[in-house]
Amino acid sequence: MGTQAAISARGVTKSFGRLQVLDNLDLDIPSGVTYCLLGPNGSGKTTFIRAIVRLLRLDGGEMKVLGRPVSEVNEIYSQIGYMTQHKALYPDLTVQENMEFYAGLYGLAKQKRVERIEELLRMVDLLEHRGRLAGALSGGMYQRLSLACTLIHEPELLLLDEPTVGVDPRLRQTFWDYFDRLAGEGKTVLITTHIMDEAEKCQRVGYMRAGRMAAQGSPEEILRLAGLKPVLRLWLAEPEKDAALLRAEGYEIDIDDGVVQVRLESHALIKEILAAVSPLDMRLAEPRLEEAFLRLSEAA
Amino acid sequence: MSLSFGRTGVVALRVIRQLKRDRRTIGLIVFAPIVLMILFGYALSGDMSGVALGLVDGGGHAALRAHLESIKDFNILYLGSESDAEKLISEGRLDGAVLLSPGLVQVLLDASSLQISGAIAGAVQVGTSREQASLVAASPREGTEKEIPIITRYIFGYDLEMMDTVGPAILGLVVFFFTFINAAIAFIRERSQGTLEKFMVSPLSRVEMISGYVLGFSLFTLLQSATTLFVVTFGFGVPLRGSALTALAVVLLLGAGALVLGSFFSNFARSEFQVVQFIPLIITPQIVLCGIWWPLQSVPEFIRPFSYILPLTYAAHALRAVMLKGAGIGDILYPDLLALGIFFLIFFAAATLMLRREVG
Ligand SMILES: Nc1ncnc2c1ncn2[C@@H]1O[C@H](COP(=O)(O)OP(=O)(O)O)[C@@H](O)[C@H]1O
Ligand SMILES: [Mg+2]
Repeated sequence: MGTQAAISARGVTKSFGRLQVLDNLDLDIPSGVTYCLLGPNGSGKTTFIRAIVRLLRLDGGEMKVLGRPVSEVNEIYSQIGYMTQHKALYPDLTVQENMEFYAGLYGLAKQKRVERIEELLRMVDLLEHRGRLAGALSGGMYQRLSLACTLIHEPELLLLDEPTVGVDPRLRQTFWDYFDRLAGEGKTVLITTHIMDEAEKCQRVGYMRAGRMAAQGSPEEILRLAGLKPVLRLWLAEPEKDAALLRAEGYEIDIDDGVVQVRLESHALIKEILAAVSPLDMRLAEPRLEEAFLRLSEAA
Repeated sequence: MSLSFGRTGVVALRVIRQLKRDRRTIGLIVFAPIVLMILFGYALSGDMSGVALGLVDGGGHAALRAHLESIKDFNILYLGSESDAEKLISEGRLDGAVLLSPGLVQVLLDASSLQISGAIAGAVQVGTSREQASLVAASPREGTEKEIPIITRYIFGYDLEMMDTVGPAILGLVVFFFTFINAAIAFIRERSQGTLEKFMVSPLSRVEMISGYVLGFSLFTLLQSATTLFVVTFGFGVPLRGSALTALAVVLLLGAGALVLGSFFSNFARSEFQVVQFIPLIITPQIVLCGIWWPLQSVPEFIRPFSYILPLTYAAHALRAVMLKGAGIGDILYPDLLALGIFFLIFFAAATLMLRREVG
């Protein structure tokens, strides 16, 4: 794929009756990255993903998927892994049987099938549950199995609609490590979520609001765009004096209840600040993406 | 996208695994034919006791007609034509028929049950002499000169019990019912589970998906019809004069038709429970109009065309021919197998088209 965009959308629109769900949306997802599409419930994330795989037809705009116009996307379905919000599984089949079914659909050869199923069940930590009926699994396990089924055919482009809902934090980290590895291999991973924390783990983030992209970029870029900076909080013996000193050196300073707060342009400045003053205690507060998005969407 | 037998087989295998795990379904396969045989075979046979006599009324002979109608043991079926009467006698559905036309009375009798034939012939004799007597009373001179001619003809039918008539139809009915309901439920689940959406975004084509279902369900149809055939023939003594394989072929084609019909209708139900509401709409008319419990010839004419678009009508007819008369494949190709084939193809196409990928 190289540098070509995995997905590019230009002026994409879609409405259901009078409800405008995608409103002149522009979005570029380079290949080989993990991309997080973030947005509150009802903002149109699922609609966008369904438009990518042509489960619904756009009203207007242009979209390319893996270099092809979206109207031809059915010819590259074998390169796409799509995990729906419904977690498409057969509850009356076992974990193993569900995996075998999807492996068969994508025509995996016997040997390959056995290996992939083994590998993926290990990744989602379901190896010892392979004989259980999917319907008897807990919500989180069901979710994990659905993810494993989506990955079975090693797709170039992964579209995961809220894949981590109900998955515990430890396993969530395993997922993210796996996604990073896939991106490292040149695969593209698009994930939707309405949880901010998730987004910080992605290489790129897009924030969607009311069918538009309110902001997109790397998490750092988004923070910068919103004008948010890390804040160093310093507990000093003589706060007033030291604050004046730092101000004189050109730092942005606030004093809050005797604690001096320095807004940092970059983390490298911490060293210089510590050369100028000697705090009794200190703490670094990273800006939250949540705050950044809130600002950006207010500005928009 | 080219058709892949591999993918079709994958779907079929999955369907079989699911059906195998469904206890209710397995129970249904065994018990449904037994219950239906008892229900339809015994319950209806009470109604049908006595002599089944066809009457084709071409005018005249009011007294004879009144006499025949007054006999308690005669169940009279009013028919449109002589050929209807002949057909029903030869199928063993009627014991005889009386064809009335001005100046002539024809009696068709089933040669295989002489006792009943005798009763019918006797009743016609009594009826005509009464008619004669009333004619004499009305105009003494003419009446005595003209005797009413009676022509009697024998047709080779056979002596059937209600069980025998019903048995072949039950075989068709259980397969149709089971497959239709299960297929409709399966497709509704595909939708609600989100698996259908996932298929749409995979190399599996719609034709492969439906074909996979047909294949998977066919195995169960075979199992079910073999069981039903066993219950009906050994348990209830219904004859199997033709080949069991021919009967199974008919049932397979019927089952395939029921499957695609179920898939098609699943588009009009929102939940598994709503499938139940299809029973009065889809299943009951077929039971009523398939020509088994009462002959098609006795169905009012304006409804009769419906009988001829329902697959169970053809399946029941073919199965009866195979089981009771020993018909081979060649004998039932037209119209029965042809009609079942056309029905399957139409709804295969309809079911496939309804699995649309794009929405909105
Ligand atoms: N098929 C549809 N018909 C009508 N409205 C729809 C349909 N799909 C989605 N919507 C509406 O579009 C909006 C966006 O939905 P969705 O894309 O699912 O949001 P998200 O995934 O971000 O929560 C919602 O208001 C939803 O009700
Ligand atoms: Mg959604």
